[in-house]
Amino acid sequence: MVGILSYGAYIPMWRIDRSEIAKASGGASMGGERSVASWDEDSLTMAVEASLDCLSGIDPKGIDGIYFATVSSPFKEKQAASIIASALDLRKDAYTFDFTDSFRAGTSAIKAAFDAIKAGTAKKILVTIADSRRAMPKSEFEQVFGDGAAAFLIGEDEIIADIEGFSSISDAIPGPWKREEDSYPRVFEAKLDRMYGFLKDVPHAVTELMKKYSVEVKDISKFAIYGPDPRSYMDVARSLNMDAKTQLQDPLFASVGITGTPHCLLLLVAALETAKPNERVICASYGEGSDAFLVRTGEKIEQEKGKHRGTKYISSKRMLPSYGRFADFKKERETGWPEWSRSPVVKYWRDEKWELPLYGMRCNKCGTLQYPIGRCCMICGERDNYEEVKLATKGKIFTYTHDYLVGPGNLPGDGINATTRAVIDLDDGCRLFLEMADQEIKEVDIDMPVELTFRMWNQKSNYRYYAWRARPVRE
Amino acid sequence: MEKSIKDRIAIIGTGVTKFGEIWEKDEEDLLVEAVHEACNEAHVDLRKDIEAIWVGTFYNFSGTSGNAASDPLKFYGKPVTRVENYCATGMEAVRNASYAVAAGMYDIVLACGVEKILDQGSRGLPGMEDIFPHPIIVAESMPALFALCANRAFKEWGWTKEDLARVAVKNHHHGAKHPKAHFRREITVDTALKAPIIASPLGLFDCCAMSDGAAAVILTRPDIAKSLVGEGNYATIKAMGEAVETALPFYRPDWTGLSLPANVKAAEAAYKEAGIQDPRKELDFGIVHDCFSITELLNYQDLKLCKPGEAADLISEGITAIEGEFPINPDGGLKCFGHPIGATGVRMIVELTRQVLGRAEGYQVKDAKAGFAHNLGGPFVVAFLTIVGTPEWEPG
Repeated sequence: MVGILSYGAYIPMWRIDRSEIAKASGGASMGGERSVASWDEDSLTMAVEASLDCLSGIDPKGIDGIYFATVSSPFKEKQAASIIASALDLRKDAYTFDFTDSFRAGTSAIKAAFDAIKAGTAKKILVTIADSRRAMPKSEFEQVFGDGAAAFLIGEDEIIADIEGFSSISDAIPGPWKREEDSYPRVFEAKLDRMYGFLKDVPHAVTELMKKYSVEVKDISKFAIYGPDPRSYMDVARSLNMDAKTQLQDPLFASVGITGTPHCLLLLVAALETAKPNERVICASYGEGSDAFLVRTGEKIEQEKGKHRGTKYISSKRMLPSYGRFADFKKERETGWPEWSRSPVVKYWRDEKWELPLYGMRCNKCGTLQYPIGRCCMICGERDNYEEVKLATKGKIFTYTHDYLVGPGNLPGDGINATTRAVIDLDDGCRLFLEMADQEIKEVDIDMPVELTFRMWNQKSNYRYYAWRARPVRE
Repeated sequence: MEKSIKDRIAIIGTGVTKFGEIWEKDEEDLLVEAVHEACNEAHVDLRKDIEAIWVGTFYNFSGTSGNAASDPLKFYGKPVTRVENYCATGMEAVRNASYAVAAGMYDIVLACGVEKILDQGSRGLPGMEDIFPHPIIVAESMPALFALCANRAFKEWGWTKEDLARVAVKNHHHGAKHPKAHFRREITVDTALKAPIIASPLGLFDCCAMSDGAAAVILTRPDIAKSLVGEGNYATIKAMGEAVETALPFYRPDWTGLSLPANVKAAEAAYKEAGIQDPRKELDFGIVHDCFSITELLNYQDLKLCKPGEAADLISEGITAIEGEFPINPDGGLKCFGHPIGATGVRMIVELTRQVLGRAEGYQVKDAKAGFAHNLGGPFVVAFLTIVGTPEWEPG
C-alpha cells in the first residue's frame, strides 16, 4: 500500500491583524489575523522548514525524490526543488521536480509521488508545498492571503495513512491568473470563479472520488478543502451535504489566511494531527479544476503525535505592529534602501556543502569541529585531513549585538532598524556567527536557546543566495 | 646576532595634519601637508634625500599602489610601496620602512599614511558590507565586532555602560587640549550614556568618528640622525611587535571575547624585544587603539597593564588619565582624532616621538622618556605594539 509516512507544516512567525490592513488600505476588516512570511522568507525557504518538520527523525539520505509545489517560486527560470534538496541534505541522485502554476500543483505532486511509488520507480518521495504570495495593495487579497507550507513523505510500508486513490477534473476557467509580466494575481470576477469553478469542480471531484471508492459523506471524518475565501467554505459544505461543524476541517482563515497551493494540504496535516486510526479524510484542491484524494489513517497515526510541530506553528506567533511592516516584508513599499552590491556567484556554487546542507569539518588531528570548511584546521593547522560533519541545528547564544550600521544580508544599515548578530554555540560544539531572524531586541541575551532557520540571505549580483540564520526556538 | 630593532632606527621628522571632517581638502592635500612638515622637521629634502617611501592606505579610494604617495608628492623614479593591513595599516608602513633601514638598504626613508573617508558619504566605515567577497559570510560593522566583546565582558566582569562611558570622558578630556584633534571638547558620562546606540551596547560616544587625515615620519639610522637634527631632537624605536590572527574569530570555538589573541602576542613580542618585564613600571605612558571604548579596556589587559577584569578600575581610579600614574592616550586617542585608517598608526608614532622629545605642548606627559603605541586592525586580526623612547632610555 502506498501512503503517507510522515507529515509536517510551517507557518511563519509573523501575523498581522486584519484590522491593520483595513486601516491602511480601506474597507472593512475580515476579522482575525493572517500569517506573513518575513522579508527573508519565500516559498522555497518555507518548503525547507515544512520538510524539516516532516523529516524529524527520518534519514534524508533514504529519500528518492523531492517534489516542490508552489505558485510563488522565487525564480521564474530556475528550479527551486534542487536548492531545497540540498538544504535538506538529500542524495544527489534524488529526483527533483517543481510543480507549479496552479493551486492544484500540490495535490498533483502528491499524485505524481503516489504513481511513481506505485510504479516502483521510487520508494520514498518528499512532497513539499509552499506559497508566499503578494497581493495587490488595497485589494481584498491582502487580507485573504496567508503564507505557509506543508510537507508529506510518501512511500510504502510503515505508513501512517493509506492513500486510497484520486479523482480529478480539469476546467479552463479564467481565474485567478498571473501573466509573465504581472506582479500580482488578477481576477475577472471572483463570483464567476466561485460559482462556476470552485462550487462545480470541487464537489464534482469529491463526489466522483467517493463513488469510485464506495464511500459516502458520512464515512468521512474530515474534509480538507481549499477554498478561495471563508464564504466559499460554507457553500461547498452545503453543496456536499456535510455537517460543516464536525466534518469540515477548520480552514484556518481567522489565524492564517488562505495559503494558496499548500492550503488543502495544510488542512490535511491539521486533520491527521487529531485523527484516530481508521478514519477517512478527503483532501481536495481547486485551481483550473480540482484534484481530490482519499486518505485512511492506520494504527501508526498515533505514533506521529508529538513528533512534529505541524499546526502548532500557528500559536507560535508575533504580531506585526503595523501595515508598514507588512508592506516592507512583502516588498510593497519603496524604501530607498541601497541596491545589493555584487558578489561572485561561483563562490556559492563551490562551497555548497557548508552553505546549504550546512556541513562543518572535524579535524582528524586535533578533533576540533569547526565552520566553515577550509583546507587547514583553524586550530592546529593540519592540512587536508578532516571529516565533513553535518552540523547540529540547535544551540545557544555565546554573545550578540544589535548592529545599526550594517544591515541584514550584508546590506548597508539604515540606522533605525538593527540587525542582530550572534555568536552561536551549537549543541555539537561547533561555533557559528549568524544573523538572527524573527527575534525581538529585548529578548536576545547570552545563553538564549536558538535554532537554525533556512532563509534568503541576500540578493547580491541579482542572485538569490540562501543560507541559515538563527531564530528564537519556536514553541 | 640577536634580532632586534632596538635603537637601530631614529625618528627625525614628524608631520600630522588636522584630523576631522575635512571637506575642502583631498588625500593629496593631506599627504603633502603631513610629509612636508615631517621633512622640514628632519631637515631633509623630499625629492633629494628620501630614498624610498612606504605609504599606508586601507581603501583603494585613498590611493592604490606606489602612486598613493608618488603622485600626490610628485616623488618619482624611486621605490614606493603601498601597504595595507586593516586598521593597523599605518604602523605596518612604519615597520616596513624601519626594517629596510635596519637591513642597511637605505639611509633615509619616509613612512606615511593617509585616508580620505568622508568623501564616501558613508555612515560607518564604507564598504564593510562587502568586506568579505563570499556572499554568505556574515559581514558586520566595526562597532558590532567589539560590541560582541562588550557583552561578554559585561557578563564576565560586571562592567557597565558607565565603565565604557568613562573611557570616552577621559579621552575627550585629553583631546580637548590637542590642536590637531577632530573633537576638542570635554564630555560627561551622562552625555555618553544618552547618545544613540550604534551596535548595542556601544553608543555614539563609545565609537571613534569617521575622520580624514594624514601623518608622516622620517626614519634613519641614529648616527645619521645625530648629524642631521642633533642630540635631543630624535627618538629611537625600541621594539615593534606584530601578530596576525583570523578574520573569522567568531567561528573559533576557543574565542572568548575577553581578550584579543593578536594583542597578547604582539605585546609579548614587543616587550621581549625591548627587554621590558613590567610595562607599567618601566614605560611612562601608552597610546592604545581605542576605536571603541571597550577596546581600550581590553587593550589594557592584553598589554599587561593590569589583570583581566581590572581595566575598568584603571579608568575609574584615574590611573590612565594624563595626570595619573600611567597615562593612556594623552593625545585624546582615536576617540578624539577619529580613525583615518592609513594615517592612524603613523600618527601614533608621531605622538610617541613628540611626547618623548617633550614637544607635546598642552598635552605633554610629565617626564615621558618612553612609551608604547598600539595599533589594531580588522576583526581583531592585526595587532601592533611599537615602543619609542629617547635614545638614552633603557628598560628596568
